[in-house]
Amino acid sequence: MVSLLKLATITEEGVRFLSPHDGSPMLLTPEHSMSLQNSIGSDIMMQLDDVLVTTSPDIVRMREAMERSVRWLDRCIVAHKNPDRQNLFCIIQGGLDLEMRRECCREMVARDTPGIAIGGLSGGEAKDDFCRVVAACTELLPELKPRYVMGIGYPEDLVVCVALGADMFDCVWPTRTARFGNAVTKDGVLNMKREKYAKDFGPIEDGCGCPCCRPADQEGAMGITRAFVHHNAAKETVSAHLLTIHNVWYQLELMRQARKAIIADEFPAFVREFFNNLYPDRVSYPSWATTALRSVGIDLFKP
Amino acid sequence: MTNDGHELADEPAAMTFELLKAAVRDGTTVARLGRLALTGCKSVVDTPNYFGLTSRGVVPHVTPDNVSKHLQTNGAYLALEDFIERPQQYSTRSPPIYETPSALGKPLHGFTALPSSFITVLGARRLPAVPAPAGNTNHAVSIFTSTGFQVLPTKDYRNAVQVLKPDIAIPPADLTHGPTTPTSKRAVKMAERTDDWIKEWFVDDDTTPTASTFAPVLPIPYSMQWEYLERLSEDLTTDNRRLAGLALYDADIIPDLNHHLPNLLPLPRLSLAAPPTPHHILRQISLGVDLFALPFINATDLSPFVQNCTCYACTRHHRAFVHHLLSAHEMLGWTLLQLHNHAVVAAFFAGIRQTLAVSDDAFEAARAQFHAVYEPELPAGTGERPRARGYHFKSGAGEGKRNKPGWGKLGEEEEAAAVAGKAKGDGAAVDGVDGVDGKLQDLSLSGEEVKIEFLISGTVTGETIGVTEAAVEKDR
Ligand SMILES: [Zn+2]
Ligand SMILES: [Zn+2]
Repeated sequence: MVSLLKLATITEEGVRFLSPHDGSPMLLTPEHSMSLQNSIGSDIMMQLDDVLVTTSPDIVRMREAMERSVRWLDRCIVAHKNPDRQNLFCIIQGGLDLEMRRECCREMVARDTPGIAIGGLSGGEAKDDFCRVVAACTELLPELKPRYVMGIGYPEDLVVCVALGADMFDCVWPTRTARFGNAVTKDGVLNMKREKYAKDFGPIEDGCGCPCCRPADQEGAMGITRAFVHHNAAKETVSAHLLTIHNVWYQLELMRQARKAIIADEFPAFVREFFNNLYPDRVSYPSWATTALRSVGIDLFKP
Repeated sequence: MTNDGHELADEPAAMTFELLKAAVRDGTTVARLGRLALTGCKSVVDTPNYFGLTSRGVVPHVTPDNVSKHLQTNGAYLALEDFIERPQQYSTRSPPIYETPSALGKPLHGFTALPSSFITVLGARRLPAVPAPAGNTNHAVSIFTSTGFQVLPTKDYRNAVQVLKPDIAIPPADLTHGPTTPTSKRAVKMAERTDDWIKEWFVDDDTTPTASTFAPVLPIPYSMQWEYLERLSEDLTTDNRRLAGLALYDADIIPDLNHHLPNLLPLPRLSLAAPPTPHHILRQISLGVDLFALPFINATDLSPFVQNCTCYACTRHHRAFVHHLLSAHEMLGWTLLQLHNHAVVAAFFAGIRQTLAVSDDAFEAARAQFHAVYEPELPAGTGERPRARGYHFKSGAGEGKRNKPGWGKLGEEEEAAAVAGKAKGDGAAVDGVDGVDGKLQDLSLSGEEVKIEFLISGTVTGETIGVTEAAVEKDR
């Protein structure tokens, strides 16, 4: 419930808020959340949790939120009608307090849900803290359950989190940033509204295999140029659609390459190449990333 | 090969128009059935038919791959004014579209990534065009770009056509674009200038456009432009028929054309008269219009989808989902609606052709029946449209805001209302999607923008006429 935090009142019963549809008061309980997800029939269901921004200094409230999330998990498990065909994921809370996170991991792992999500992150905390929390959690999680870090989408975050032992992610960023005219590429994020792209007739990203970037003479390809994306960025929704197609392709391809590297036992080399493309000088690597990667035995500076 | 499986062409295709059937009533030719073929790119358009309208080179909300995959129309109208703005900070740069590399095929297609088999019709101005306060001069038309009003010399427009190589080009016309009828003095001037410009257009030099030329016919009485029209008829239909068609800004002139200028009869007639309702389309067809550029398809409304519609949107999605997407301002909602609207309009035209193939009487009977069944004016749409942009219209004094605020108050606290204004760091977003482009916020609508937001279902065949689900949104 992090996105509605400011608009909601949280009690033991559930979350109260006003309907964005007609302004009427709504109460979302763990039970109601399950019944909604049961009727939608999603393959993965998320428990209702109590989330604070990780940077909240209120330790007491943070503990209350973590413990309440565990109690709500119990209520979700009881209310879940289709455990045979829909997979409930618990959501680990506890802010940036590693001990609290560990405690939450132990409690939730004991409930034996099919998958495990790490929640509450990506709320403005320092990247070092973020990595420490992910590492502290993945260390305690069982090998054979998918680990899902919620709200993660920057390519660097994905690669580092995979290195720290996470499996799945979701984020609005690649598509939202597309709507703002930004292309995600192996060389970084390019703002297509910039004048330098007005006469750039190359693809959004050289070598990209997405339907926008491949030349128009290939099957199912459009041969979109940066100049055309620039022409309509922030003007026509089509540019947003095109960048969305490209950005989602980029993210999926990044994870495809990560899987390939893991299978080939070449993951450290993959990580090094990824960061090298983003920071060609090899000096300005972000320290949070070098630190986190070193903790799992990947040295970005290794030649 | 492009995504529609055609070779990339670098020259506009040669065009032929065949009249398959033209009814004759009271001595004049009326509703007609024809076929427009563009050789080389394998595009055949059975007429009566319509072309879509683009905005800044795109069929609104539809990516070029979906234009090939899901739209029934095989052509669209593009406006040069959508491509030649001069951003303040880069006022000296030449428009990027003129530098489209030849490797991308015909430059207009290459720049916009439209499939090369998709017929492009290029005009100087959008449809409908924003009237320019300064008006035109003897050698230039006033245009309205996304960065404001600009003067486009007619010679520059002609050069642009030769550089961009649209399949069909419409030479400049001296139009007022206003809601009122021009005075007779102004009308005479319009005809004189347009006549001068057509002479300039066809001067034999190395920049003579190779596109098929559809000469403009002005929205003024025949008696005011007969000299210009006679030139079209006598000078431009003789040797190798340089004139490929007519672009009518008012279809009511057709009876006069039929009567006075039989040389022009074999030419396809494209109506740019922006028919505001299907009734107007039918009426123009019965006058003898072959092709339309239809502004009203570009849509957003949550009117219920048509029963039994076979379009992609209707066969893959429930109405409720589209309704949800539209109320949530999800771009996909507009895309699906657009695909549906095109399918409905295409079916409407297919029905018209089918009826015309039976007989002119069958067509007139069906038209009368259609008239009896459908409301002449259509109810106002209730749906949310994408945010209107500055290049869509120009504000007038004292008018309300064109765009509604993104969100109403959502939470208990005042600041909650700012939900939609988040993500500042990323800058402005596209139409009503995430953010608000502040610069355009205060613009409101003036002029004659009339949009049918949702269209008729069913067909106008001899037997069946579908139920109406049309809705018109008329601003002001
Ligand atoms: Zn791409
Ligand atoms: Zn449909």
